[in-house]
Amino acid sequence: MKLQEQQVKDLATGAAFLATGGGGDPYLSLLCAQQSIKQYQPADLISINDLPDDAVIVAVGSVGAPTTSLELLPSIDDPVIAIKAFEQHMGVKVDAVVSFEIGGANSLIPIVAAAASGIPVIDGDGMGRALPEVQMMTYSIAGISPTPSVAVDYAGNCVVFDDVTVMEYEEQIRDFAMQRGGMVTTVEFCMTAAELRGCIVPNTVSLAIEIGEVLRVERGNAVELIERLRVVFEPTAYGDIVTLFTGTVTDVATSVIGGYDIGYATLRSDKKDEEDIKVDIKNEYLTVWAGDSLRVCVPDLITFLDSETGQPINSERLGFGQRVTIVGIGCPSHFRTSKALDVVGPRCFGFDFDFTPIEALTPQ
Amino acid sequence: MRIGIDVGGTHTDAALLSGNQVVETCKVLTTSDVMSGILDVLTQLQSQCSETVVADAIMIGTTQFTNAVIERRSLKPVAAIRLGAPSGKGLPPFVGWPEDIANTVCAAVYELEGGYLYDGQELSPLNEVELKKVIEDLKRRNVEAVAITSAFSPMNSSPEQWVKERVQQALPHCRITLSHEIGRVGLLERENAAILNASLLHFADDVITALEMALKNSQHNCPVFISQNDGTLMDVSFARRFPALTFASGPTNSLRGAAKLTGLDEAIVIDIGGTTTDFGVLRGGFPRESNLVVEVGGVRTNFRMPDILAIGLGGGSLVAPDGSLVGPQSVGHQLVNEGLVFGGSTLTASDIAVAAGQVSMGDASNVSGLDNEIVSKALEQIQTMLNAGVRKMNPGKNPLPVVLVGGGAAIVPDSLSAGFEVLRPEYCDVANAIGAAIAQIGGEAERFVSYQTTERETAIEQVRSEAINKAVAAGADMKTIRVNDIEEVAIPYMDNGSTRVRVKVIGDVAALQSPDTKEAAR
Repeated sequence: MKLQEQQVKDLATGAAFLATGGGGDPYLSLLCAQQSIKQYQPADLISINDLPDDAVIVAVGSVGAPTTSLELLPSIDDPVIAIKAFEQHMGVKVDAVVSFEIGGANSLIPIVAAAASGIPVIDGDGMGRALPEVQMMTYSIAGISPTPSVAVDYAGNCVVFDDVTVMEYEEQIRDFAMQRGGMVTTVEFCMTAAELRGCIVPNTVSLAIEIGEVLRVERGNAVELIERLRVVFEPTAYGDIVTLFTGTVTDVATSVIGGYDIGYATLRSDKKDEEDIKVDIKNEYLTVWAGDSLRVCVPDLITFLDSETGQPINSERLGFGQRVTIVGIGCPSHFRTSKALDVVGPRCFGFDFDFTPIEALTPQ
Repeated sequence: MRIGIDVGGTHTDAALLSGNQVVETCKVLTTSDVMSGILDVLTQLQSQCSETVVADAIMIGTTQFTNAVIERRSLKPVAAIRLGAPSGKGLPPFVGWPEDIANTVCAAVYELEGGYLYDGQELSPLNEVELKKVIEDLKRRNVEAVAITSAFSPMNSSPEQWVKERVQQALPHCRITLSHEIGRVGLLERENAAILNASLLHFADDVITALEMALKNSQHNCPVFISQNDGTLMDVSFARRFPALTFASGPTNSLRGAAKLTGLDEAIVIDIGGTTTDFGVLRGGFPRESNLVVEVGGVRTNFRMPDILAIGLGGGSLVAPDGSLVGPQSVGHQLVNEGLVFGGSTLTASDIAVAAGQVSMGDASNVSGLDNEIVSKALEQIQTMLNAGVRKMNPGKNPLPVVLVGGGAAIVPDSLSAGFEVLRPEYCDVANAIGAAIAQIGGEAERFVSYQTTERETAIEQVRSEAINKAVAAGADMKTIRVNDIEEVAIPYMDNGSTRVRVKVIGDVAALQSPDTKEAAR
């Protein structure tokens, strides 16, 4: 499928929906993708099954503090510069690119690369949502190393990272980003199509486009919207979609600890006799509590929609008095294994309880 | 004495205040040239007063500049100069604008080296040779308006100043807007705001000059102020430079007016017009601001606007024959011709209010035959719509008082859902003119700081004094300035202590020699 400007616009909205409050505002990445398509060509979206087992694939995206790119704007050539530098360093030819995470801004960086270079982009990603750390990616969980990798800064300077553990890499790449204005573009997780096939959350790019289309067409119509989305999620690796709550934000208390925006939000229901809702936040929305009872927890998806427009709300933009609808979705089956839950379950975010699926906590 | 004037789409309202007391109010129809409507309302106001009115200051809220952008008229082509290369390649100025307004406004774009990084390091050095070429091009194209934006200029504006000096020297008649003077962090949105502002500068000159001439020839030879988005005022010389800061002054003024009329700092305000009803919330006497990105005429900006919920309900709303549905269609300002009580043939919300005896308007006998059941059904529907809005906007557990303002306030029944006290203050139909009249002057500054290198108190003090300087430059009385708001936002994925600090201060109008100002100054 060739992705044109309207599709990437829908993709950005769908990516914000799947970002569960985190992932950064996709607006700048969207502009980059639109401009790249305008200037070069539509991006070629392919299925992982279209590639031979030995095809070479890299994940491409941005790393750093998204707030800084509000001023230090990204360039549409950065992803291509990074891919070329990677090819040169490794002596390989990249056959396709893939996204780290479909949730938020990073869903669009591979599209920028694909449009500018003609290399196809694979329909799928390594998270199926947004999550804060590199070991939480399905690629990492499957044992694929993020390095060797290449990072490029705003001035086009490239640096290679190699011979480090996953945790060392995470630290080094963040330091590098901070020294170079706050955001860098990276090429990581060099893998074969056979390896990726074993761990990709499939078809999430086309899913995000479909979600974005529903949110565009049904704008301002929250009830219809959920019914339409139910149909969209039906054939995917995700579970059911449930409307959990409609009400008003009464308090948002977050502070940045260790680089993460940590805290909680409280909400009051539109229905008089319903209990108050509390939502824990660490960049992403992690839990929903109705009074003392847990209704959803990470890695199942929690999305806030603006009740008037039906548009997703990033946790950074969540504020006192906002009218919101909270939606829960069963996470992709990839995260329901015990091996995956060891790195993405509630305990990994500091909670002292184990994961319970949304379908058990909030039966429809 | 001061006079507040609100120029709306249908009516131009005025309120005369002595100190803090409302003395007289009136309404006239808005004229297409706006100016004669303003003179009309002043004449009308005088005719209602027994003594000669001499104002010490006139405050005007106007939607002229917003409408110019929305209707894409009276806009000058602008050359946009950005300092931030090599970053942002492929995202030139005007990126993401609707095509029609980009075609109207874009004269040329230049992406030069310059600007800073978040940590205060240079992004790239300024390039004199590059700029000389740009200036030659500006001359060749006969450019009359320029917007200059550099990366992180809210923290360090020197690159913008550097370019301005050189452009102004080479093109003395060119009008220039610097982005750091008008917008916040967020380069594209700030650049958009600067471009829109630059494109309005010539129109602003025309409007302000006409206004000054008209008032000079009237009995009111006094300072004139214009309402801004945030409920504060700017003097006319400031308004000539920053017309874009008026974009959302309408709803802001009606919220501020409601605060003044009731003395409440925390309340839900319902402003009911002919076609729509706006719900807003007062916090600390000022409108609660929206967290969402604000588009003006389809252009993304980062102006702070009040958080408004609008629904299709007003005095002119159409009512279904059985009373089960009210709005969103409306006869609008044709109410005075089409409503039943005015001899027309359309059943409107106002007719229901008259039939229910809530208000007298037109000829009540025209609706005496209306079935009681239809009337009570329609009233119930109006109540349901308002209750839903009030409940959505009420921020906490406890119901806030509800203040009704605007020309359509009469259609609201006396009570809303349990617990919400409904206030219908005197003069509520001209609340926005009163909001304009009582406004003060503000100043705002913003910076990225690291609390690890600069102590928190010191950092806030630096931003505060910058905000105070801006307020004084805008016409505030130094002695009355106080801090209105401090916002500290920690930045995710950065070292602990990296924070965006924004300070807003507010003070009385220095030029206003009214008793309350003197008192405050004492």
